[in-house]
Amino acid sequence: MSTIELLFALLKGLRVTLTVAFFAIALAFVLSFVVGFGRLSKIKFIRAISTIYVEVIRGTSLLVQLFWIYFALPIIGIRMTAMMAGIIALGLNGGAYGSEIVRSSIISVPVGQTEASIALNFTPRQRMWRIILPQAFVMMLPGFGNLQIEILKGTALVSLITLGDLTYRANVINASTMETTKIFTILLLIYFLIAWPMTRGIEWIEKKLTVGRY
Amino acid sequence: MKENILVKYNDIHKSYGDLEVLKGINLGIHEGEKVALIGPSGSGKTTLARLLMTLEEPTKGTIEVDGKLLWHEEVNGKLQRASEKHLHEVRGNIGMVFQHFHLFPHMTVLENVMEAPISVLGMKKEDAKKDAQEMLDKVGLIDKVDTYPAQLSGGQKQRVAIARALVMRPKIMIFDEPTSALDPELVGEVLDVIKDIAKEGKMGMLLITHEMDFAMDIADRVVFFDEGIILEQGPPKELLNNPKTERLQTFLSRFMNAN
Ligand SMILES: Nc1ncnc2c1ncn2[C@@H]1O[C@H](COP(=O)(O)OP(=O)(O)O)[C@@H](O)[C@H]1O
Ligand SMILES: [Mg+2]
Repeated sequence: MSTIELLFALLKGLRVTLTVAFFAIALAFVLSFVVGFGRLSKIKFIRAISTIYVEVIRGTSLLVQLFWIYFALPIIGIRMTAMMAGIIALGLNGGAYGSEIVRSSIISVPVGQTEASIALNFTPRQRMWRIILPQAFVMMLPGFGNLQIEILKGTALVSLITLGDLTYRANVINASTMETTKIFTILLLIYFLIAWPMTRGIEWIEKKLTVGRY
Repeated sequence: MKENILVKYNDIHKSYGDLEVLKGINLGIHEGEKVALIGPSGSGKTTLARLLMTLEEPTKGTIEVDGKLLWHEEVNGKLQRASEKHLHEVRGNIGMVFQHFHLFPHMTVLENVMEAPISVLGMKKEDAKKDAQEMLDKVGLIDKVDTYPAQLSGGQKQRVAIARALVMRPKIMIFDEPTSALDPELVGEVLDVIKDIAKEGKMGMLLITHEMDFAMDIADRVVFFDEGIILEQGPPKELLNNPKTERLQTFLSRFMNAN
């Protein structure tokens, strides 16, 4: 196969990779906030389940989580497509790490900011949404930037549950052509080319939000 | 005309663990009265102010503001810890300027001053803007409205913080060592602003400061605080020229020597 032919054969998996990455990142982002706030909740029960979730996810590997969701859950009657399983596994995993980013950013906003907003008689909700979160969000961005790249890289694992993503295509083509070096070099480049604008995008948002302020 | 008591501390105690910082404070402040709180560092002045601003909760005792209990409310005839709603209602009478300013770094100077009137007092945006501009003009910073706090000097930051607190029209304003974090050459501009506000008269002040001349100049009453109790109080001249306790004498002589 020529390089161009290889490239096109590989790119058949691009849509799957991008779809899984996009929805997993979205799910991780939402979970990061829900669980991040959960860990700071005044209610002990909510703090407890949030902490358990984070510890369980961080203490086990993504691959095992993925297999568990795809192969073990059906035994107790929860079935889903491979695509769905991939998105959920990656989203749950990313959400656990992301919640730590959210939690640590919120608590690192100086306590004086809260005190000044109490002195101005903001309600607790206004304190969070107008004063604390806007400052914390800027601090979260580098962490979220890393997280979305981690999730993108993690999508390669869905090839192991039969999804035809980039990595799956690479393995299939490799088995029939044995052009290993060429195939995996191209694969490397494709992942890099997806990651690059994602990183730049986060940097752009960060710049947008902080210009002239710090 | 009888002057009304605006703030009243009733046998206030405050402990952090085993450390009793306030040991039974009784203090009344009249409407519009300017009270200077002086005393050695670590004596509990900041703590006393923070209790009034609802940043700390008293261990024992009550505080009344404008006739209402601050930290407590009566529910079915029983005194309970105040709800957030109750605190919100009573806290509106009080404002505070901090030693370290605590401006909101993600907002411009104008936004810093406009935000609370809009979201807390429900003012219309145009009205809040006009008011904020007037207040910033008063503290001499009208040319800085679109600047972010990071680009201001310490003295400018503190003047913005003062404007931000003033637009809420509190009945009493706490100043906790408003100039101690400033370079010496910037102290004057902040003291001048506070003096101007004091001379306008209507708003009460609880002023914690080590600037004795300044305290003498604007205070109606000076309260000397030591190790969590009020040792002496009275009109500034009387207290400073004729200290009764040895503690105050020592405290004052240290200052006279220092200056
Ligand atoms: N949050 C806190 N936890 C423990 N100790 C505190 C706390 N805040 C203040 N203190 C202690 O209370 C005492 C009085 O402090 P403070 O009110 O700040 O005094 P001042 O303002 O007169 O210097 C000090 O000994 C200080 O270390
Ligand atoms: Mg102090």
